[in-house]
Amino acid sequence: MHIQMELQSDVADTQQQMEQQHFHVLAVDDSPFERKLLERLLRECSCKVTCVESGDKALEYLNQLDTHQSNSADSTASSSSSQSPQQEGLKVNLIITDYSMPGMSGYDLLKTVKGSSSSWKDVPVVVISSENVPSRISMCLQEGAEEFLLKPLKLSDLKNLQPHLLKSLVHSNEDTNCSTDTGNSDNVVKMNNNVISKRIAMSPEPSERRPKPKELAVV
Amino acid sequence: MEVGQMQRRLIEYTKSLFMEGILDDQFLQLQQLQDESNPDFVVEVVSLFFQDAEKLLNDITRALDQQSVDFPKVDAHVHQLKGSSASVGAQRVKNGCIAFRNFCEEQNVDGSLRCLQQIKQEYYHVKNKLEALFRLEQQIVAAGGSVPMMELSF
Repeated sequence: MHIQMELQSDVADTQQQMEQQHFHVLAVDDSPFERKLLERLLRECSCKVTCVESGDKALEYLNQLDTHQSNSADSTASSSSSQSPQQEGLKVNLIITDYSMPGMSGYDLLKTVKGSSSSWKDVPVVVISSENVPSRISMCLQEGAEEFLLKPLKLSDLKNLQPHLLKSLVHSNEDTNCSTDTGNSDNVVKMNNNVISKRIAMSPEPSERRPKPKELAVV
Repeated sequence: MEVGQMQRRLIEYTKSLFMEGILDDQFLQLQQLQDESNPDFVVEVVSLFFQDAEKLLNDITRALDQQSVDFPKVDAHVHQLKGSSASVGAQRVKNGCIAFRNFCEEQNVDGSLRCLQQIKQEYYHVKNKLEALFRLEQQIVAAGGSVPMMELSF
């Protein structure tokens, strides 16, 4: 409880300075269509996004970040904003991965990340899937996934990830690690919360209207 | 036709697509992601969906044409099509895919072929409708108007 409260006040403090910062999310999905959608949704949440098409490419990217901090980017990863070396060397704050992918699945990727001895083992991982399979969900959560989201994703699903992102930044600021060592009961609670929060997310909510001033003439 | 009329026509047309179950709420989600900095987002995403879908439908057709059908492979393609059609809001295509997967599980070739036909029909139907919708939008913009936002409640 005490740790929880400390975390919350730290989160509140960092939240202000976070307004300026942009989280860097690594999005993993084998479908170009899904990657485009993920990228847009994440950028809508003010995140910098790097999209890769497979678990192997994701690990390659993470390794390369680790060992070549200041070097310019690997050309296999595509980035949403301009290719500045600074962004390519940016630490990953969150990994979002599709579950069903050919070759290395999202689950395999999750296991590899969480089981590694590199700094990125503490990066929060979110698994997404179009299939609602409870055993799959609990498997991922037990392996250390922060959330398991169901496709099709809505903007609200990603906005709900903000606390996880903030948590990871607080960790890197404080150099403490609060994300591991949750007992089984916590995972079960988390799963219930995820399912509940997903259901809540699905109910109609006031849309964030954006004007569509398509003043550009169609060529 | 003046801009106001065109805008009303667009709204009515879009509404009808929802009423007929051709599109669902997920399409509205996509529209909400379109703004000044991403003015063509919906068209871009839908175009990707069209490319994806047509390739998958071809792959499925070829796979079902084999002497010995590789059902796990067909199922994987259908799964992908189901995912992208769901993400774009193409409800009838998505539902067709759900039905298709049952036939795959049963390894039922005839059922699968019939289902594929059905899905193809639904796909071309939604493609035509969406292309018509985008044309309406273009007309409005060309006439100097702005594309009206869909209301979530109707």
